[in-house]
Amino acid sequence: MNAIEITDLTFRYPDGHAALRGLSFRLLPGECVALLGPNGSGKSTLLLHLNGLLPEKPGGDGAVKIYGESVSPGNLAAIRRQVGLVFQDPDDQLFCPTVAEDVAFGPQQLGLSASEIAAQVENALAQVGLTGFGARSTHHLSHGEKRRACLAGVLACNPKILVLDEPTSDLDPRGRREFKAMLRRLPATKLIATHDLELAVELCARTIILDQGRIIADGRTVDLLSDEKLMLAHGLERPHILHHLHPH
Amino acid sequence: MGRHHLHPHDHGHGHQRGPLQHLPAGGKLAGALFLILTVVLLPRTAVTGLLIVGAVVAGLLAISQIPVWHLVKRLLLLEPLVLGVAGLMWFQPGGGKTFAVVMLKANLCLLTTLLLSNTTPFRELLRVLQRLRVPWIFVTTLTLMHRYLFVLADEAERMRRARASRSFTPRRRFQWPVLASVVGQLFVRASERAERIYDAMCARGWK
Repeated sequence: MNAIEITDLTFRYPDGHAALRGLSFRLLPGECVALLGPNGSGKSTLLLHLNGLLPEKPGGDGAVKIYGESVSPGNLAAIRRQVGLVFQDPDDQLFCPTVAEDVAFGPQQLGLSASEIAAQVENALAQVGLTGFGARSTHHLSHGEKRRACLAGVLACNPKILVLDEPTSDLDPRGRREFKAMLRRLPATKLIATHDLELAVELCARTIILDQGRIIADGRTVDLLSDEKLMLAHGLERPHILHHLHPH
Repeated sequence: MGRHHLHPHDHGHGHQRGPLQHLPAGGKLAGALFLILTVVLLPRTAVTGLLIVGAVVAGLLAISQIPVWHLVKRLLLLEPLVLGVAGLMWFQPGGGKTFAVVMLKANLCLLTTLLLSNTTPFRELLRVLQRLRVPWIFVTTLTLMHRYLFVLADEAERMRRARASRSFTPRRRFQWPVLASVVGQLFVRASERAERIYDAMCARGWK
């Protein structure tokens, strides 16, 4: 069964702007796929659809299916349990006063007991290397720590699919390296919208390129990112790391 | 971002110093409510009573070791509201005395609240409210307000710096059009952020 199945997905914002135009693709369980494209190509809009946050009332028409289940108003809780969405701006996602409270938010919504919640929080913080940060104020974390705390908040719900919106933007090189290593360790199916082309090459065997709401290309990351003409035509560029992988 | 956040409650004055800071939050909240209710319920004529409460509040402020200037600054910020209400009293017969009593009462209440907020971390107060079974929507609203007040303040500060960096003439007068556009921008940004936060909450199962 496909982890994610998108069929002819179209979305228009209320102001008439067509953000997604007839997208179709599938993700198998365990796949790690990069979603590339210039600003305004529809990446974030697509990610919000995977969690049933857009459209405001999902049609249940089968355009978005998660593990075979069509996203509809009736099954949003079940869908959101399976799909963990990490937002672009950590300050949007860390809405609780302390790290532990924020990580506990998801498990609390799932109705877990206090001891189970405590265990989930501890486990999630350990997974992202933030053990001992529970009592820290979310406002006072560094950007890298905020990113990790966001991921911990999502991991605490044990999602099968991780959807990340530009997870390494604003991180320093070390933060980026560590965050990538952390993502690599996570077994979940991953769809990562990013401008970090090195991340795409290092983590994702497959890449989908989006531009103006359409899928321009879907294939092996190394093949797509080596195609200089394709990359330049869609606001991207051939990453430097490929020169080392394929010296010409 | 990073190290230069505005967060007066965590870096506030005297948080860990005075003896009041170590008392349980629930007790302090009850004490503050008691003082405020006393002030509110005392009749206008009971000036002696008000002065006694004033002495108690002054004593507590002294014990709390909160720097006086810090208190005065916060009090001055709130004073326009007090003056707005008390000012109306001038127009009543015998308004002078009423004005003085309303000013005294309002400032005593404000000082009590400042005393509470400067000796008790806001998070502890929220926990007390939760324990007291205050409706969750109220506690959640306060929690989110406390979380994002400082994010918004950071945003305002970044906008101020960005404006200052492109202001090539020395400051002449208070530029109302600029201020209006900043407030408008902040409002739009805050409302957009509110939508994103709501999405983030829904994504983690908020019902």
